[in-house]
Amino acid sequence: MSDLETYRQKAAAWLESVAPRYNAKVRYGLSETENLALGRAYLKERFDAGFAGINWPVEFGGQGLGHLEKVAFEAEELKHGMPTVFFGISLGMPVPVLMKFCQDHAFVRERVLKALKGEEIWCQLFSEPAAGSDLAGLRLRAEQDGNGWKLNGQKLWTSWAHYADYGVIVARTDPTVQKHKGLTYFWVNMKAPGVTVRPVRLAAGDSHVNEVFFDDVRVEDTQRMSPVGGGFGVAMATLMIERYVATDSGGFGPKLDHFVEVARKAVINGKPAIEDGRIRQQLARNYAMRSGLESITARAMLMMQAGMEPGPEGSLNKLVSVRSRQKLSELAIDLMGTAGLTFDEHASHSDDWAMSWISAPTGRIAGGADEMLLNTIAEKILGLPQDYRPDKGVAFNQIPA
Amino acid sequence: MSLLYDEGQQAIATESRRIAEARSKPEALLALLETQGEYDAGFWTMATEQGWTALAIPEEHGGLGLSLIELGLVAFQAGRTLSGAPFLTSGYGAARALLESGNADLQGQWLPGLASGEVIGTVAFGEASSPLPETPSVSFAGGKLNGSKPGVLGGVHAGLAIVLASDGGTPVLVAAALDGVARTTQATFDNTRCLAELHFADTPASELARGQAALDIALTVLAAQAVVTAHEQTGGSEALMERARDYANTRRAFGQPIGGFQSVKHRIAELYTLVELSRANGIHAASRDGEADFVKAAAAARLSACEAYDTSSRDCVQVHGGIGATWEAGIHLHMRRARSLAVEQGNSFYWEDILVNRILGDVA
Repeated sequence: MSDLETYRQKAAAWLESVAPRYNAKVRYGLSETENLALGRAYLKERFDAGFAGINWPVEFGGQGLGHLEKVAFEAEELKHGMPTVFFGISLGMPVPVLMKFCQDHAFVRERVLKALKGEEIWCQLFSEPAAGSDLAGLRLRAEQDGNGWKLNGQKLWTSWAHYADYGVIVARTDPTVQKHKGLTYFWVNMKAPGVTVRPVRLAAGDSHVNEVFFDDVRVEDTQRMSPVGGGFGVAMATLMIERYVATDSGGFGPKLDHFVEVARKAVINGKPAIEDGRIRQQLARNYAMRSGLESITARAMLMMQAGMEPGPEGSLNKLVSVRSRQKLSELAIDLMGTAGLTFDEHASHSDDWAMSWISAPTGRIAGGADEMLLNTIAEKILGLPQDYRPDKGVAFNQIPA
Repeated sequence: MSLLYDEGQQAIATESRRIAEARSKPEALLALLETQGEYDAGFWTMATEQGWTALAIPEEHGGLGLSLIELGLVAFQAGRTLSGAPFLTSGYGAARALLESGNADLQGQWLPGLASGEVIGTVAFGEASSPLPETPSVSFAGGKLNGSKPGVLGGVHAGLAIVLASDGGTPVLVAAALDGVARTTQATFDNTRCLAELHFADTPASELARGQAALDIALTVLAAQAVVTAHEQTGGSEALMERARDYANTRRAFGQPIGGFQSVKHRIAELYTLVELSRANGIHAASRDGEADFVKAAAAARLSACEAYDTSSRDCVQVHGGIGATWEAGIHLHMRRARSLAVEQGNSFYWEDILVNRILGDVA
């Protein structure tokens, strides 16, 4: 047995041992506050068991292992639906970026430990009302204020900002240069005076994203994590860290077995749905799509194990899987008839078709809209031209409105 | 077997690509379309000289003792350059049937010739639109075959056919030498596939398997051919995606390369997703040969490969505009090949059912 497989089994055994206290089933129906409390307790246990910060440096409190061990653990953890959602962004991007770009190592170490134990949460303040896909078009200003900075403006779609202790933020420090050259990257204290967090309710009824207002928020120059004007590069590096995460060929919707269950129970014009060619075709096509994505992932893991750089095809998982989940969820609801219209606000998108369906649009937009992912494939992988960009080479404050 | 190509396999990929590209002549392929029963003989000679016909046949029978993975790599290149004489797949299918049946005499008789390419092999399972009929109309009795098999791949030239027949209602799998067997060349839109209807009239044949065993072997052979074909289809899809990309990068309209328009670039990016899913499923299926889930993996590979090749044919023409629809541009060679390959190894309805039955656990 390979070392990785041994590690996976060790992880699986530990997860199995704590699952009865934390998994999706036992938490069913709990409030968000109760879930968050359990989430913090789970992270503390995970830290004590040595499964936190798996691929992070030991000097910062990590385990010093590889991406493979991290992904193996995550894949096992995903099976249980542990209460990790509040910490996904925090540990996924801002904290790793802090380790990489913040010079104050004592401060970083303290933050990393608290984040790993679930005691503190970090958010990522990138998108704005007028800057989503076009991140470099952001407007929130950072102006010099004595030996520090003053932030004014608004962020939007900030996940878990309402629970966050800290955040990383990209701000415009110079509007007179090209848009991506006038940005600077900071960390901010979310409890600082002038920070206002207002949850935004999404179509599914939940409010995990927020709008965050900054009114004369003071930031020290020691909180700057990029050169002045070099923030876009650090922002891109933040998004690149996401490469090594467990993927799901079902787009984080219900498993295909779940669809089979629905189809086995359903009847179409007096005949079993599972014998209906329309249903069988969708089942077959979705299976083929998922097995292709899983093979891509398995190959990438083997390449990493062999010390090679995985191919760019790993980037199509989200594009392909989430939009398929959206359509399959529609089909499952159809199959269930009016019973499919039942809505349970406590249900999870990973095992309930209605919740999967109504929350799917978020998946197709957050972390790169389908159209941006297609642009990335076309431009970065295939070498096709960039779109026509009237803002190119133009100072930010001269871009036609 | 691994999803990751080892050094030897990578060398086969590189070398077969170099050779296939060096002798690729689209004009010659266009001319062949207007003939009947002819194929790219130069390619076939080269394939036999390179040992491609021997790749997946065991060493004790004159083969190289490699696997579906290596054969798939070669088929991929043949697909890229459209150079497939059909016998690479059908010859392997015939060899595989002999290997699965475990009949040592017949293996000794036929496998060395199939490995060297001296014998052109094929399989004749399907009738009408059914790729694997449980009670075929072709009969086998007293060691003799009678009846007709339509649409036999490479049937114009094959010297050996593995035939699915019926012995008083029981399915039997038999091997028949085709010397003296009458055949009708079938004019198709992809003539180099050399499809023929074989007319058996008291044709001597040797039994390989009977009953459920015959059907099981036939399905395994069909699945193996489908996996080889999936690699060929992925190769064709990739070539079309690249051709569309290259054209979109150079052809200018409205003051810029047309690839700068999202309607065009996204179409090509979508092809990339189909090509990669097809490739991944093909590699996975080849690596599962001999395992319990092989047929299931082959079915998934078949579905994604057919979708990728048909879609990239359609879209590559569309990106080219009018020029793409001309005879001379030759993209229709891929259109024709895509449709032929999508039907030759069993249509999508057949494979969807094969896959769904296995997902449902109705079949192990």
